[in-house]
Amino acid sequence: MSGVERVEQAAGAHGGTRLRWPRFHYAGLLSLLGGLLIWELVSRFLVANALFLAAPTQIFAAIVALAKTGELWRHLYVSAIEFLVGYVLASILGVAVGFAMAESATMKRVMQPWISGLYATPTIALAPLFILWLGIGIWSKVLVVIFLVLFPVAINTEAGLRTTSERLIEMLRSFGATPRQIFFKVSLPSAVPFILAGLKLGIGRGLIGVVVAELFGSRAGLGRLIAQSADAFNMPELFAGVIVLAAAGIALTAGFGWLETRLVPWTRD
Amino acid sequence: MATIESVAQPPKLQVSHLGKTFGDLYALRDINLAIARGEFISVVGPSGCGKTTFLRIVAGLEAATSGQVLLDGRAVHRPGTDRGFVFQSDSLLPWRTVFANAIIGREVAGQAGPAERQRTMELLKLVGLEGFEHYHPRQLSGGMRQRVNLARALAIDPQILLMDEPFSALDAQTREIMQTELMRIWEEGRKTVLFVTHQIDEAVFLSDRVLVFARRPGRLRESVAIELPRPRPLAIKRTAEFVRYVDHIWRLIEDDVRASVIEEKA
Repeated sequence: MSGVERVEQAAGAHGGTRLRWPRFHYAGLLSLLGGLLIWELVSRFLVANALFLAAPTQIFAAIVALAKTGELWRHLYVSAIEFLVGYVLASILGVAVGFAMAESATMKRVMQPWISGLYATPTIALAPLFILWLGIGIWSKVLVVIFLVLFPVAINTEAGLRTTSERLIEMLRSFGATPRQIFFKVSLPSAVPFILAGLKLGIGRGLIGVVVAELFGSRAGLGRLIAQSADAFNMPELFAGVIVLAAAGIALTAGFGWLETRLVPWTRD
Repeated sequence: MATIESVAQPPKLQVSHLGKTFGDLYALRDINLAIARGEFISVVGPSGCGKTTFLRIVAGLEAATSGQVLLDGRAVHRPGTDRGFVFQSDSLLPWRTVFANAIIGREVAGQAGPAERQRTMELLKLVGLEGFEHYHPRQLSGGMRQRVNLARALAIDPQILLMDEPFSALDAQTREIMQTELMRIWEEGRKTVLFVTHQIDEAVFLSDRVLVFARRPGRLRESVAIELPRPRPLAIKRTAEFVRYVDHIWRLIEDDVRASVIEEKA
C-alpha cells in the first residue's frame, strides 16, 4: 500500500498556542493531603472541639476502632447486601423495561409518563412508607434502591437502542440482514455504552438510597451507624460512616470505569 | 459465422423504464440501460439528478415506483448478497476489528467458515490492509477505512459492485491514490461495477462508460464510452484525450449544475 496514509497518531491532537504547564502527576494527591492538613489544623487549633469539627486523625482513629470491634464490618455488610440486591434487581428490570420501550411504540407510550415522572420524583422521601410496608429489615431498603436505580437504567437503555446509527443499520440491511440480526449485530452493541452510563449513574443514587433509607429506620447498616453516632454526638464516628460510604462510592465508580474501558473501548476519546 | 453476434452474452444488469417519484417529485424517469459483465460504469450528474437513488434501487435499499431492474435476468426487489454496496461514509462497526468488519456480509448470510475467512484475509491483503486485520476503525485513516468498506463489499463475492461516492469524503491526494488502487483491484477480478460520483475526472479515469444523468426529472442524458487504453496511469489525466472527455461531459451537465447551485443558494 501507499506510504501516504498512516495510522493516525493520538499525539499532535493538541498543541499550538495553549500555555503548557509542566506535568505533575501527584498534583491530585498533594491537593488532597494539603486539604486534610488544613482541616486537621483548623479542627485542632481553631475550633478545638470534636463536636463541631472532628479532625482527620480522630476520624481515622474512629474507623480503626470500629474495624477492630467488628462494628464497622457488621454495618458495612448489611448496607452492601441491601445495595447489591437492589442494584442487581434494578439493573435487570431497567434494561428489560428499556428494551420493551425501544421495541414497541405502544409500550413506550404506556411507560414513558411513569418512567419520566418517577425518575424526577424524590422517591427517597417515600422510604418511611416502604419501611411501614416491608418492615425495618433489608427489603424496605432494597425497594428504595430499586426505585432510584431502575429509571436511569431504563431511560438510558431505551435511548441507546433508539439512537442506533441509521447508516450502520442500512449497511447491514444491504447485506440482506434480518431485523433480528440488525438488533444483535448493531443496535445492541451500540446501546451498550448508554446502558453502562445508566448503570454508573445508578451507583451513586443507589448508595444514597441505602443510607437515607437506613436513617429512617433500621437495625444495622452504615446509615444506622451514622444515625446512632449523631444521637450520641460522636462526631468522629459519624464522619467515619460517611467516609467509608464515600470510599465505597469511589471504588465502585472507578471499578465501573475500568469495566467500561474493557467492554466499550471504542467510546474512548 | 453470423451466429457469434446472436449468442452474445445477456447483460449483467438490465434496467428498463425505471421510475421513482417522491410525492409529486420525479426523482427518476424512464431509465433504460444495459451493463455487460465486467464493465466499469460510472454515473455522474448534478446534485438532485437521482444518481444515488438509482444506485439504491439497484441495491434493493429503495423500491422503484415503476419499471424494473434485472440482475442476471432476475428482478431485484430487496438487498441480497449478489450485490456488494460500498457506502459513501465507511459505515464500519466501531466495536469490530477490521477483519470482523470485512466478513460481516458472510456472517449475515450464515457462511463465515474457514474458506470465507481465508478469502476475506486475501481480500484485505488485496486492498492493502495486510497486518491491520486486528485494528479497530478508530485507529485507521479515512482512506484505510474506505479500503475496509471495499473489502467488505468484495468479501461476499457479489455479481456486481455498487459504489456510492466512496471517495468523496477523502482529501484530494488520498482520493487519487484510492482511484488507482481501485483500478488495480478491479483489474484483478474484473467485477461489474456501478460507480456513482460527482467528480467527472474520477468517472472518466475509472470507467468503460460514463452515464450522464440530468435533473428535474432525473433521467439518463447520454452514455459516453471512454476509449482510453488500460491500464491507465494517473498521468493519463493530463492527456488531451482525457481532458476532451471531461470537457464533453462537463458541457452536458453544466447548465444543470448551475441551476442546482442557484437553487441551493435560494
